[in-house]
Amino acid sequence: MRKFILSTLLVSGLDAATALTPARAQAPDAEALMKEAHLNMYYAGDDGSARVKMVITDKNGKTRERDFTILRKDFAEGGEQRYYVYFYEPNDVRRTTFMAWKNPDGDDSRWIYVPSLDLVKPLSANDKKSSFVGSDFAYEDVSGRHWSDDTHKFVREEEKGGFQTWVIESVPRSGDYFAKKVTWIDQGSRLVAREEYFDGKGEVLKVLEVTKIETVDGHATALERRMTTPRKQNNTMIVFGSIDYDQGISADIFTERYLKSPPRQYVAGQ
Amino acid sequence: MKRIFPGVPIRHPKLVMAIIAVLTVGAALQLPKIKIDTDPENMLPADEPVRVIHRAVEEAFNLNDFLVLGVVDERTVFTPEILARVQTITEALRDMDGVIADDILAPSEVDDILPEEGGGIRVQTLMESVPASEEEAQQILVQIRENPILRGKLASDDGKAMALFIPLESKDVAMEVGQQVQAIIGRDRGAEQYYLAGLPVAQDTFGAAMFQQMAVSAPMAFLLIFLLMLFFFRRWKVVMAPMILSMITVIWTMGLLIGMGYTVHIMSSMIPIFLIPIAVLNSIHILSSVHANYHRKESMAETLHHTTRELFLPMAFTSLTTVVGFASLVVTPIPPVQVFGAFVAFGVFVAWILSLVFIPAYAMLMPPSVLDKFGQTHEGEAAPETYLHKIRHFAVKNRVAVLAGVSIVMLIAGYGVTRIVVNDNPVNWFKPGSPLRVADQVMNQHLPGTYIVYVELSGTDEGAFLDPAWMGWAERLQNQIGQQPNVGAASSVVDVLKKVQYELLNREPGSATLADSREKIAQYLFLYEMSGGSPDDLFKFITPGQDRINIWVQMHRGDNQQVRAAVEGVDEWIADNPPPAGLTVQWAGLSYINVKWQQLMVTGMGKSLAGSWVVVLVMMIILFRSLRMGLLAMVPLTATILITYGWVGLSGRNYDMPIAVLSSLSLGLAIDFAIHFLQRTRDIYRQHNENFERTMTVFFHEPAQALARNIVVIALGFIPMFFASLVPYITVGAFFFAIMAIAGAATLVIMPAALSYFPARVISGYRHRVAGGDSLEKAATAARR
Repeated sequence: MRKFILSTLLVSGLDAATALTPARAQAPDAEALMKEAHLNMYYAGDDGSARVKMVITDKNGKTRERDFTILRKDFAEGGEQRYYVYFYEPNDVRRTTFMAWKNPDGDDSRWIYVPSLDLVKPLSANDKKSSFVGSDFAYEDVSGRHWSDDTHKFVREEEKGGFQTWVIESVPRSGDYFAKKVTWIDQGSRLVAREEYFDGKGEVLKVLEVTKIETVDGHATALERRMTTPRKQNNTMIVFGSIDYDQGISADIFTERYLKSPPRQYVAGQ
Repeated sequence: MKRIFPGVPIRHPKLVMAIIAVLTVGAALQLPKIKIDTDPENMLPADEPVRVIHRAVEEAFNLNDFLVLGVVDERTVFTPEILARVQTITEALRDMDGVIADDILAPSEVDDILPEEGGGIRVQTLMESVPASEEEAQQILVQIRENPILRGKLASDDGKAMALFIPLESKDVAMEVGQQVQAIIGRDRGAEQYYLAGLPVAQDTFGAAMFQQMAVSAPMAFLLIFLLMLFFFRRWKVVMAPMILSMITVIWTMGLLIGMGYTVHIMSSMIPIFLIPIAVLNSIHILSSVHANYHRKESMAETLHHTTRELFLPMAFTSLTTVVGFASLVVTPIPPVQVFGAFVAFGVFVAWILSLVFIPAYAMLMPPSVLDKFGQTHEGEAAPETYLHKIRHFAVKNRVAVLAGVSIVMLIAGYGVTRIVVNDNPVNWFKPGSPLRVADQVMNQHLPGTYIVYVELSGTDEGAFLDPAWMGWAERLQNQIGQQPNVGAASSVVDVLKKVQYELLNREPGSATLADSREKIAQYLFLYEMSGGSPDDLFKFITPGQDRINIWVQMHRGDNQQVRAAVEGVDEWIADNPPPAGLTVQWAGLSYINVKWQQLMVTGMGKSLAGSWVVVLVMMIILFRSLRMGLLAMVPLTATILITYGWVGLSGRNYDMPIAVLSSLSLGLAIDFAIHFLQRTRDIYRQHNENFERTMTVFFHEPAQALARNIVVIALGFIPMFFASLVPYITVGAFFFAIMAIAGAATLVIMPAALSYFPARVISGYRHRVAGGDSLEKAATAARR
């Protein structure tokens, strides 16, 4: 509620101010905003679960769909967390499960269960470059890029995609696959509303747009996200449904045993 | 008609010149709009099924045409130093305009499927960073050899050669990208050699070379023809007339072609070279006649009237038969050849009209002093004359031997024609030893091939290729393709599936096989994507909907003879081993398109040649009002075509497109000699009371001299083309030489020998024909004497 009042004040204040003089308000702390947005986006509650529908559309308009349940448990706010994914679609990969242990200080650990071989195998794809299930989202885009990997600078405030936003430019601290990132943070929800990644030549690599934000169990949640790769004219839409926060998901779930035998309480219709 | 033509230009030479000048300037203004097209794909109409399929396959699998950069070192290219340089080149390529950075195939760009510690798989860049030691560098070669998708594509098994595949946004940037690549290579290099190959670079480079040829060979031929004519006629102001005429003809024709929006293709770039000699030919006849008659007539106007009367009919027929020869190319299903044929036909027509209009106007405008001694002093001095009479005496005296000899030569030539091998390859348009040919040879010697053909298998339902029966058939087909001669390698999604399983099952012996269930196939592909494999790489082999797959076939040689052999071998296997119901197989790729248009070209050219032969025969029968004379007129051109093409067959030369269209030229030029010979002979024969011996004596004086001059001018005039850097231009030069020599010889030797058998009635035509102009002329000539 406090945020809401603040942003309302800011917006109306801006309306009044723009006509006369540029807003002389103190520039917001870019790093703090990025941290807050990151925690809101990727660490809401202590755990969470959702049914996710993903639609990948190629330049010819052809689509591929993914349907999965995702479970998440945080072990430290902004730090270690674990993911569990159960796939319903594509049909021929049904019962495939996937698990990731996110370790912000080192390499993540990942495993996949291949039902046709009844085998659990480790995966170690490069999380920045590798696509997640063939979508426009890289692994890093699913679990969030840690704010401390980049340096941030506040640029301006503006209205973008229906959100009143703070615009922040980020540059990787050490060499990375992109040269610059611009983030639009929604002042209302303090979630990321939009992100654009640029290469060294200033060309757009990919664009994240959040098209629907709702409050679920008291947590502002980005329910619909689209990642576009302009160069390939490809985009992926993710829609979150059946969201639950703070169910007290057991740490046991995130082990090899549950990869083979999915937890019935969270995974429907096996 | 005969009177109108010289009449107007004789009375209003300045007006005629002004009109011609205005039209010429108008046409010349179109020339700067020239658009060059060297894409062999355009040999076929855009809606030709093979092209539609090719485009559909390219789109479905996001494929592009490649340049191939080869790196060769006789020890090994897998050293840290060379790999570092390759890395530098690759990085530069990524930033280059016109290059599709994401699809470059290079060690630092492609993914390899590796075993993961603890038993999984990992898909990662083959060369994540430049190796520090020789061992690490060699390890990359080992990885390539162990990966069926990369093996052969990226490096030779012995490690002496590496190939970088550079995908282009469009083919017309090939040369520009090639030059940039050369510049990068030049900056820093060791002992290793670099070679740039691939069809697009050949095509694009050819386009640039075409311009040079047009700017060098054609003017050289033009200059030499001018000098030869100067030698025969001695007055440069006189000789300028046919030269200007041929320039105007070329400008009008090319101006119209470009103005109408047609692109200048390899074929149409040769239009000027075809038109210059044809345009000059008619003028030589006119000049020869003026040369012979000027001093006998009272004025230039009278001389021109006489010449036009004498030459109108033969010139009309020689021009129209040439028009027919080239216009017949319009029936070939190859658009550039159609355009070529149509516009050469137009040019020939223009040259004919101009020779009736421009030459008289030009002659009238010339100050009489220029012509003071024209036609007097040198008559009878030029070398060919004495020989011409000897040839004639020999031919008539030994007519049995001559005709028998000709028959034998024609039989041998006919056999040669049956041995013709139809084959073309844009790379062969360059001379042996040119950098492109060398690169092509070296690369295809070390590697499985830079010529890429695609075999697309498609089903109707999504996920069709998850069916092990379908994928299994694809595997068998791929094996079959790999066994064809000329095929260096074939790769497909089958290799991906096998490699995933092999690594997933810890490289157990016998695990590199195709998965046996639908779930496994689907899950391996999913696993590939989950393991870091780029979906885009996968989609080069299988569509996202898994309803189509694509087998990449690399071939050593791009000659369509060899490509076709492989295609036929595979098609035979498919006939014996039908695919599962619903699965269809289609071929695509530039090299395959070349095969298709070659096939169309052969049948098309055959039809066009046969059609125009018949049309010309009919024209000859009409012209001479005699079946026998008509058939006799066809002898020199038939001999010319048989002998030149028989030689192509016997010498083992490839029958390629330039050679194919030259049949029209043979037809158009060779018939001209026969027409002039027979028409003039008939006129003289009537004038000399049907005395064959006297007729021949008169004919072998001035008219035969004109023919001999034609032969010498055109044959020698095209010698500069022998030194062209592009093979098709050399071919055309050689053909001009051969056509003139054979057709000329055939006319001057065979015709007198054969004609000596003909009864007088046939030679003179209808005895009591009502021929107003001709008999008046005869009377006038007689009266004057």
